[in-house]
Amino acid sequence: MSISRFAMEIVVALAVCIAGAIVVTGAMEFGIRWSESGPEAGYFPFYVGLLLIFGGIGAGAQAVFARSDSVFLDRAQLQRLVSFFVPMLIFVIISVFLGLYVGTAVYLLVVMRFQGGYRWPFSLVVSIGTVLFFFVIFEVWFQVPLLKGPLEEFLGIY
Amino acid sequence: MENFASLMHGFSLALTSYHVMLMIVGVMLGLLVGVLPGLGAPNGVSLLLPLTFSMDPASAIILLASMYWGALFGGSTTSILFNIPGEPSSVATTFDGHPMARKGEATRALTLAFMSAGFGALIGVVLITFLSSWAARFALRFSAPEYFGVYFLAFAAFIGMGSASPFKTIVSMMLGFALGAVGMDSVTGSLRLTFGFDQLLPGISFLVAVIGLFGIGELLVTMEEGLAFNSVATRVSPREVGRTILEWPRYWVALLRSSAVGCWMGITPGGPTAASFMSYGLAQRWSRRPEEFGEGRPEGVVSPETADHAAGTCAMLPMLALGVPSSATAAVMMGGLMIWGLNPGPMLFTEQHDFVWALIASMYLGNVVAVVLVLMTVPLFAAILRIPFAIIGPIIVAVCFIGAYSVNSNAFDFWLVLVFGVVGYLFKKLDYPLAPLVLAMVLGDKAEDAFRQAMIMSQGDLTVFWSNPLAATIMTAGLLLLFMPLVSFGVRRVRRLSVKS
Repeated sequence: MSISRFAMEIVVALAVCIAGAIVVTGAMEFGIRWSESGPEAGYFPFYVGLLLIFGGIGAGAQAVFARSDSVFLDRAQLQRLVSFFVPMLIFVIISVFLGLYVGTAVYLLVVMRFQGGYRWPFSLVVSIGTVLFFFVIFEVWFQVPLLKGPLEEFLGIY
Repeated sequence: MENFASLMHGFSLALTSYHVMLMIVGVMLGLLVGVLPGLGAPNGVSLLLPLTFSMDPASAIILLASMYWGALFGGSTTSILFNIPGEPSSVATTFDGHPMARKGEATRALTLAFMSAGFGALIGVVLITFLSSWAARFALRFSAPEYFGVYFLAFAAFIGMGSASPFKTIVSMMLGFALGAVGMDSVTGSLRLTFGFDQLLPGISFLVAVIGLFGIGELLVTMEEGLAFNSVATRVSPREVGRTILEWPRYWVALLRSSAVGCWMGITPGGPTAASFMSYGLAQRWSRRPEEFGEGRPEGVVSPETADHAAGTCAMLPMLALGVPSSATAAVMMGGLMIWGLNPGPMLFTEQHDFVWALIASMYLGNVVAVVLVLMTVPLFAAILRIPFAIIGPIIVAVCFIGAYSVNSNAFDFWLVLVFGVVGYLFKKLDYPLAPLVLAMVLGDKAEDAFRQAMIMSQGDLTVFWSNPLAATIMTAGLLLLFMPLVSFGVRRVRRLSVKS
C-alpha cells in the first residue's frame, strides 16, 4: 500500500482551491469594490482568493500534464509518520488542559519508555529534569510565563 | 568615509561585554538549532523572538543576528559530519563535504567550510557597510507608489526567479497574504476573514506559522525519511586546522566567485539556498575536473558555503534599507523590528542611527565569534546529535510549542502550529516553496497599505504607479519578472516546434 505523488498533488491542489473559495466568500462580506477612498476592506482578500484558486488549478493541471508515477509515501514511511504524529497530538491535547509542563513531562516520558525502550527510572529522571530545566529558563531567567494547569495551581506556582 | 565613522561608532556600541556575551549566547543557540534536525534559522529566530520583547532593540537584534550566523554554521557541521543538512541552504555542502569526512578529512572539510563561510559573510558585511546609507538615501525618495512597486518587485521575483513551479509559488504567496489579512484591517478597522472565531480576532502571528511550517513540518519530513546518522568520528586536531587554514587561500577564485554569487542572490530575493546551489553548479562547470565533484572536492565545500553565508548576510541589506527582506529568516527578523516598535526602511538609518550601526558592527564581530566558537565546539555538537531521537525528538517538539505559546500566550496557537506543521510537511514534499508564504505574511499588510495610500493619493487612478520614472522602472521590472515564466515557456515551445520542423 502506498500513496502516489500524483494523488497527493491533486488533493493539495483541490484543498488550495477550497481555501481560495473560503477566502473569496470571506472577502465578499466586507465589500470588494472601490469606494471614494480607494479599495474597500475586502478588495485585496477577494483577489488573493481568486489567485489562490488560479494557482491551485495551475498546480493541479501541471500535475496532470506532467504526470509522474513516483511514490509520495509508502507503508513504512506512513508508519513512522503516524508513530511520531500521534504522540505529538496527545501532547497538545494534554497541554491544553493540564498545561505545558505536565504535557511535556508526560510526552517525553511516554515516548522514551514506549518508543525509545528506556527503563522507567531513567525516563522519569530525564523527563522531569527537562521540565525543571525549561522552568528555570523560561519562568525564572526570561520571565516568560508558560501555560499552566491544575497541578501548578495545586503546588502554588503561578 | 561617513560610513566608516558610523561603523566605528557602531563598534563602540557593540563591543560592550554585555553585547559580546549576547553574541556568544546567540551563536551557541544558533549552532544548537542549526545542528538539531527540525530546528533551523527561521524557526530558531522565531522561537527566540518573544524572549527579546523586554530587551532594548539593539541588544535584541544582536542576539537574533548572532543566532542566525550560528544556525548557518551549525547547518554546515551536520552536513559534513552526518550528511544531514541542518538547513536547506547547506544541502549543497553535503555533496562534497560528507565524502571528504568519510575519507577521513572531516577536520579539513569543516575548517574549509567555516573559513569560507566566514569569508563570505565578511564580504557581505563589507558590501552592506558601503551600500547601506546609499541605499537608504535612495529609498528616502520613495513614497507610497514606489513602496508598493518594491514590494511588487520582491514578490514578482519569487515567481520569476524561483526554482519551483510558478503556480506553486503563487499558491504559497497568496496563502501568506490571506493568512496575513486575518483579523483587524489596519485601514478601515473592520474584521476580515475571522468567520466568527474569536481566537482569530488578533490575527495569525507569522511566528506561529513559521514555527509550524519550518519546525514541525521539517520534523515530519525527517521522521518519515527515518533518521539514519552516518556519523563520522570527529576529533578536531588543532594542527590539522592550522594546516587547512594555510591551504585555504588557494581557493581564492572559488571564494571570490561564490561571494559575488552570494551577494547578488542575497540582495535580490534569491536567498541563501538558491545561492549555494548556484555557486556549487558554477564551481563544477568551471572546474577542470568536474567529474570529481561529489566525491570530496574541496571546492565543492568552499563554493556553496561562501555563497550561502554571503547571501544570508546580504539579505539584511534590503531588509534594513527598504523594509523588504529577501530570505525567510530576514522576514522573521523584520517582523521582530516591527514588534519592537521600529519601522524598517530608509527612516531607520536616520532615526535609529545607533541601532543600525550597532547591528552592522555586530555582524563583523558576530561572524568572527562564530568561526572561533564553531571550531571549538564541533565535538560538543557532534555529541548532541548522538543523543537518541526518542529523547531529543520530543524535546524539540516541546520547544516548538512552548515557543509558539510564548508569542501570544494563547493556547489556541497550539492547534495552529499543528495545522501549519501538516501544511509545511505537504508543501515541502510537493515542492511548494515556503519562503514566499512567510514573506507575504510579514509584508502583506505593508504592501496593501502602500497600495491603498497610493490609491488615495491618486484618487483611484492606477497610472500613479507609472507617474514618475522611478516608480515606473520598478513596476515595469516587476511585471517583466512576473511574466518571465510565461516567456520562457513560450520560447521553449517555439524552439521545440522549430526543432521538429
